[in-house]
Amino acid sequence: MLRRTQRAALAAAMLLALLLVPAVSAAREYLQLFVTEPYLELHTGPGRGYPVFHSVPRDESVTVLFRRTDWFKVRTERGVEGWAAQREMLKTVLADGSPFKFELGDQAGFSSHRYELGIFAGEYGGANLISAYWSMSFNPQLALELSAGQFLGRFSNGEMGDVGLTHVISPESRWSPFLMLGTGVVHTEPKATLVTPSNRTEQTAYAGGGIRYYLTRRFFLRAEYKAHYIFTKRNQNEEADEWKLGFAFFF
Amino acid sequence: METWVRILLLTVALSVLPGCATVRHLFHWHHGAKAAQPADGTTAGSDAEQTPPRVIEPQVERRTIKVPRIKSSNVELGLFYGALSIEDFGTNPDYGVTAAYHITEDFFFQGEAGRSRGGRTSFETLSGNIQLLTNNERRFTYYDLSLGYNFLPGEAFVGRGFAMTSAFYLLGGFGATDFAGDTKFTVNFGAGYRLVPRDWLAVHFTVQDHVFQSSLLGTTKLTNNLEARLGTTVFF
Repeated sequence: MLRRTQRAALAAAMLLALLLVPAVSAAREYLQLFVTEPYLELHTGPGRGYPVFHSVPRDESVTVLFRRTDWFKVRTERGVEGWAAQREMLKTVLADGSPFKFELGDQAGFSSHRYELGIFAGEYGGANLISAYWSMSFNPQLALELSAGQFLGRFSNGEMGDVGLTHVISPESRWSPFLMLGTGVVHTEPKATLVTPSNRTEQTAYAGGGIRYYLTRRFFLRAEYKAHYIFTKRNQNEEADEWKLGFAFFF
Repeated sequence: METWVRILLLTVALSVLPGCATVRHLFHWHHGAKAAQPADGTTAGSDAEQTPPRVIEPQVERRTIKVPRIKSSNVELGLFYGALSIEDFGTNPDYGVTAAYHITEDFFFQGEAGRSRGGRTSFETLSGNIQLLTNNERRFTYYDLSLGYNFLPGEAFVGRGFAMTSAFYLLGGFGATDFAGDTKFTVNFGAGYRLVPRDWLAVHFTVQDHVFQSSLLGTTKLTNNLEARLGTTVFF
């Protein structure tokens, strides 16, 4: 027992060491920006409530170290490090005088973005469903989507994974409907009380649709329905309905 | 019934295909951005045709500025160790991993997975040799997906010269728990305190309740499984 905990602790320490390596190695090229407003305010932390402790006068430059959510960690020419808000950074320029442009995370981003990540709760064939999805957009209307879920029911438990295409019908509007088509696998573990309690993994195909609603910032709600068609090895193929409601964000 | 599904699949295929047709270039935006520049150039050219040709060509070389990519540091990965009180099965150590993505300064999204072990119930202790669960069934494994809200952001000070940002946060989500030979839909909620001594490092103290329905001891009831833990995470 003790040896097992020791092994677990060792594995944890090694994992932590691995995690720390990229954080320590940080030799890279940084972006330099010039202040055009009367001054740029630096906060002590990445949040609206953190006090302003330093201001960078007009025409001086700052080096952008990294970005966390809507805040930029910058270093001034004098070596002072602080956090600048996104809306203030919009007023800075590059060395050639062109404005500093970056992805803002507003409704324009909702219409056109690269990645999405979200979680859902719902129902799959009468069982409770927990699922998550990740998608990559080729253009504002078409995206490749991967989703994984676990369903927990009275008669069986199981996991499922899908890959497919999503077509967003009107990406620019706040309520935007979409259609989905794809394929996947489902692994079902019937509960032992049933007559044929053998685990099985089967291929599925699905078609579905749903609607997304832009909330604010990077968030949106998403409700969807998928009709799954399960290709079984038995005499008859099966169908299963999936309903879910979730919360997602884009980046 | 099968024809109904076929009709549905075909209808959706028909609706999705026009979407595929819009993909002229696989990564539309980059091309879009590049295409935008020559478009500007041509309009400038047509202006130039109207104005008389310049006598002196300016000998100024345009500096092209390479814009380095700004690193985003929104992902937080880490480990935790703590104590989990499994209802009827005593308090036991638990450990696990967390992954979080900070969406805005207020909200973050967190996934976690943990493991603990159920002890002996008082029934088993009093009745001597009876074992309710096998050794394998006592393993308590859970995962959940939660949304976090930085409820009280602030700063913590150590002496005069050192300040670190901190936040008291609320967590709520759902997931699954594998215990006593069954997997149950689980709701989790709790609160935590995050200290960020370095831009890349954070320390967490979190208290959570994992609630699921159990009918292990005869009657079906909601079980509350409280967890208190200490964790450390690294930002990427």
